[in-house]
Amino acid sequence: MAYPIVTLRAYQDGFHLIIRPHLSIAEIEEAIQKELARMNRPLSEVSVQIDMKTPVLTYSELEELKTRLKETYNLQTRDIAIFDEPVAPPVVAAPATHTISQTMGLSDSGSSEQSRILSQTVRSGQTEDFPPGSLIIYGDVNQGAEVRAGGDIIVLGALRGSAHAGTKGRLSAVIIAMDLIPLRLQIGNYINRSLLGQKSRGYPEIAYIGSKDLIVVEKFVKF
Amino acid sequence: MGKVIVVTSGKGGVGKTTSTANLGSALALIGKTVAVVDADVGLRNLDVVMGLESRIVYTSMDVIEKQCELQKALVRDRRVEGLMLLAASQKNNKDDIQPEHMKSICERLSVDYDFVLVDSPAGIEQGFQNASAGADEALIVTTPDVSALRDADRMIGLLLNDGVEPINLVLNRFSPELVKSGDMVDVPDVLDLLSIDLLGIVPEDEGVIASTNRGIPLVYSENAPGAQAYRRIARRITGQQVPIPDFLHSKNFFSNIKEWFSRKK
Repeated sequence: MAYPIVTLRAYQDGFHLIIRPHLSIAEIEEAIQKELARMNRPLSEVSVQIDMKTPVLTYSELEELKTRLKETYNLQTRDIAIFDEPVAPPVVAAPATHTISQTMGLSDSGSSEQSRILSQTVRSGQTEDFPPGSLIIYGDVNQGAEVRAGGDIIVLGALRGSAHAGTKGRLSAVIIAMDLIPLRLQIGNYINRSLLGQKSRGYPEIAYIGSKDLIVVEKFVKF
Repeated sequence: MGKVIVVTSGKGGVGKTTSTANLGSALALIGKTVAVVDADVGLRNLDVVMGLESRIVYTSMDVIEKQCELQKALVRDRRVEGLMLLAASQKNNKDDIQPEHMKSICERLSVDYDFVLVDSPAGIEQGFQNASAGADEALIVTTPDVSALRDADRMIGLLLNDGVEPINLVLNRFSPELVKSGDMVDVPDVLDLLSIDLLGIVPEDEGVIASTNRGIPLVYSENAPGAQAYRRIARRITGQQVPIPDFLHSKNFFSNIKEWFSRKK
């Protein structure tokens, strides 16, 4: 089920090397080697951004990784982005591959993530953006409205407009709504035009990035 | 001090002008003094719908340019006591008027009249900004179709931003047959989406077309379903409690019997 250890992906701003957390440097290096071996043509003189979540490698390990990339694969490390995932044990084989307590900062891990609570309906033409953390809306998000958050988006009402969670690239962000009937969903860089129609199904639903790099929508049971 | 109510919708053609003319007339018919103001500068229509186009000498533009007194620019509707029209200029543009001008006109009118109804142009630009500038309350007119509803939703957002509250809803051109066949958005869905108070439902009425062309607002033809709806809405505007009839489940002899039997079981 899990994400690959290392994924090389092209984004608008160039290549990103996405590294799964909770792994040793040896495992990561092996995965990088495999990933790059899959390429038809060797990538050389290309700059990459390393995306990883906490817990990260130590400073010296990161330096080692950078030199390895430079010397062995001729890859220039452009930037290292570390997403502030609260420290939590890896999710093990739960059917709903996400526990929200991790991202919402509800866990006792002492997360410093902020949330913003909005008790109004977001109407057509209005945009609500909350880059530092999660956005909780007591109301609806109507068609033509847009909500964006660096963390999760939780709508205690109907989500009919478009929602973008994890705007800073966090792929573990989720979108939850009592009525999830959006025009467009986006988590990180993944976009999903709603194929679910505009008919309420009568129960809350959650959207997250599933194992096949697709946005999965399923009945939301509990945190 | 009277109330200044802006009648607006966002989308065009949903019945703002018709509603303004009819509600203005209906309010006057129940003894209120009313001034209706056409804020659609350059595309004025309210005078035609009310059948007063031949009597306009001065417009709101002349008042703003101090060519004439406000009282002199008002056209009296002779069919009913206490109804006045302030027409918009047809040769000017919406940008020629500033929100402060409209605000001052509305303020001055609200001293002398119980209700000032401002007919807003379609759109969210200068024309709407002018129309809503002096408003205490808003009346959103919409038809039950998705494009009008989305525009109405946008409008509500803008009005709330400007601090115009309360905002009430008039659902126009409602057709129970189309709802029953599943081709029209139903009332609960409209209210669920817009989440504002419903002031009234005006059923689809072909009489509107004839009344517009004749320049006699529908409310004067007493038995038309649309006329009755507008009269009820007018009474609600004055604060009376008037129930909204259930157009969808209008009772007749047979449905009563059917219901009686189904209850027995």
